[in-house]
Amino acid sequence: MPLVEFVDFSFKYLGSDNLALRKIDLRIDEGEYIVITGPSGCGKTTLCRAINGLVPQFHRGYIAGHVYVDGHDTRESRVAELARVAGLMFQNPANQLVTLNVAKEIAFGPENLGVEPDKIRARVEELIETLHLEHLREKHPHEMSGGQQQMVAMAATLALEPKILVADEPTSNLDPKSAESLLAILSDLNRDGMTLVLVEHRLDLVSRNATRLVLMDKGSIVADGPPRKVLSLPICEEIGIGIPKATQVYKHLKRNGCVLSRVPLTGEELAISVEEACNK
Amino acid sequence: MSFLEVFQYTRQESVIHNLDPRAKLVISICLAGISLMFTDIIPMVLMICFLIPLIAAAKSLKRWATSMRGLLPLLLFIIVFNTLLSTTEYPFSHSIGLSLRLVALMTSFSLFFLTVHPDELSQALIQMGIRFEFAFAMSMAMRYVPTLGQEAYAIMDAQRARGVELDKGNMLKRIRNIVPIIVPLIIVSIRRALSIAESMESRGFGASEKRTYMETLSFRKRDWGVVFISLLGLVILIHFRFFFSLPEWVSWGLPF
Repeated sequence: MPLVEFVDFSFKYLGSDNLALRKIDLRIDEGEYIVITGPSGCGKTTLCRAINGLVPQFHRGYIAGHVYVDGHDTRESRVAELARVAGLMFQNPANQLVTLNVAKEIAFGPENLGVEPDKIRARVEELIETLHLEHLREKHPHEMSGGQQQMVAMAATLALEPKILVADEPTSNLDPKSAESLLAILSDLNRDGMTLVLVEHRLDLVSRNATRLVLMDKGSIVADGPPRKVLSLPICEEIGIGIPKATQVYKHLKRNGCVLSRVPLTGEELAISVEEACNK
Repeated sequence: MSFLEVFQYTRQESVIHNLDPRAKLVISICLAGISLMFTDIIPMVLMICFLIPLIAAAKSLKRWATSMRGLLPLLLFIIVFNTLLSTTEYPFSHSIGLSLRLVALMTSFSLFFLTVHPDELSQALIQMGIRFEFAFAMSMAMRYVPTLGQEAYAIMDAQRARGVELDKGNMLKRIRNIVPIIVPLIIVSIRRALSIAESMESRGFGASEKRTYMETLSFRKRDWGVVFISLLGLVILIHFRFFFSLPEWVSWGLPF
């Protein structure tokens, strides 16, 4: 059974004229690392919200089709219940931190679910240690940088022990260095078995670790597959996404008749492919 | 407004900080009650002499002193106006007593607010039977005050950049200048509230009827001790104040 399954799912927000999602069919299996990308307003955020039931429970509107999360139909299960399965990280870290210190923040989710205090304390300590938040322990969210806030928000989401972590542009408010370290932690989590859905524009940073790249445009999924395959499609240029520089070079070479052995995603890979081509 | 500093929590490791907030609430209310029972100078001086060591035990003497210095203009105001307008026999002496009482009252309550973290306060409220949602709303308000302040500054800068002259003109004009700040601020806040609600919902807010708490407050022996001594002191003083004729020196005052 897939962890998440969209079956012919469409959604339109109340008061909007356009469908935010159009006939989405998507299945997400355990252990996958899926990157979702596409131009602004293409429905990425709505897709994330649909995974944990915020659409259609919190944001109401017109719905067709179904989304099943770990066997629950999101139309029937409350968001608070789905929170045990799907953890959601949002774009703006400040809006996710609702308490006055880190430990309380991490404890907030498990407390809501009624986990026993001893277990909560253990989880909090574990997350503070693994995500290196010790120095922030006593700080007010207001005193932290965006990157630190997002780390705490991640810890708070992971404290619910979800089976799938959905992160909606978690790096958009961060500086490049914090963004990189956050993404590194996400891919570590995936390596340890966490299913990951990540909305991200900076494909040069994430496509190497992702198992799948999903391309969205105007509410529909227009391409879905391994990153190398999706990025080599001409549709990437048509809808305008942040194709990694190395892949752009590959495409340029290909148009001019020079085909490298594989689609490179990083500068290093490109260098290796070019070297190979030269040696031939 | 520096005199309000004495009501702001400061992180410290002290005997007073370690007391249960409920015990501190009792002691603060008892001390304030005692301060309200007297108006003469001598009892007020004694009261303040009793309070200062408590503030010192909370390691907050410096903050208290700054606050009291900030309070000085207000105290002078009270003294001047009371002396001029009071109908008592010795108006100056009476006004001094009144301003000392204000100091004693503020100090009594500051003992609570200086040493109780907002989180502890909401936890105390919850354990006193207030619904979690209400107590949490209060602590969230504290959480978002600085964020809102920051947002207000950003909007002010944006409006200035577009040529709104915020600090020019007469009183009426200045009041009208608030509109281009307040309107965007309200809109931004509503948006933020929605996004906060979304994130809280995703973290299981309201999921379980039986919400648990990582830390619960527990009333220890010393907390009971504090409560007992405070109430005993209050009762004894009420007794002396209302059922005995106090010795002469207590009501000593300046002869003008």
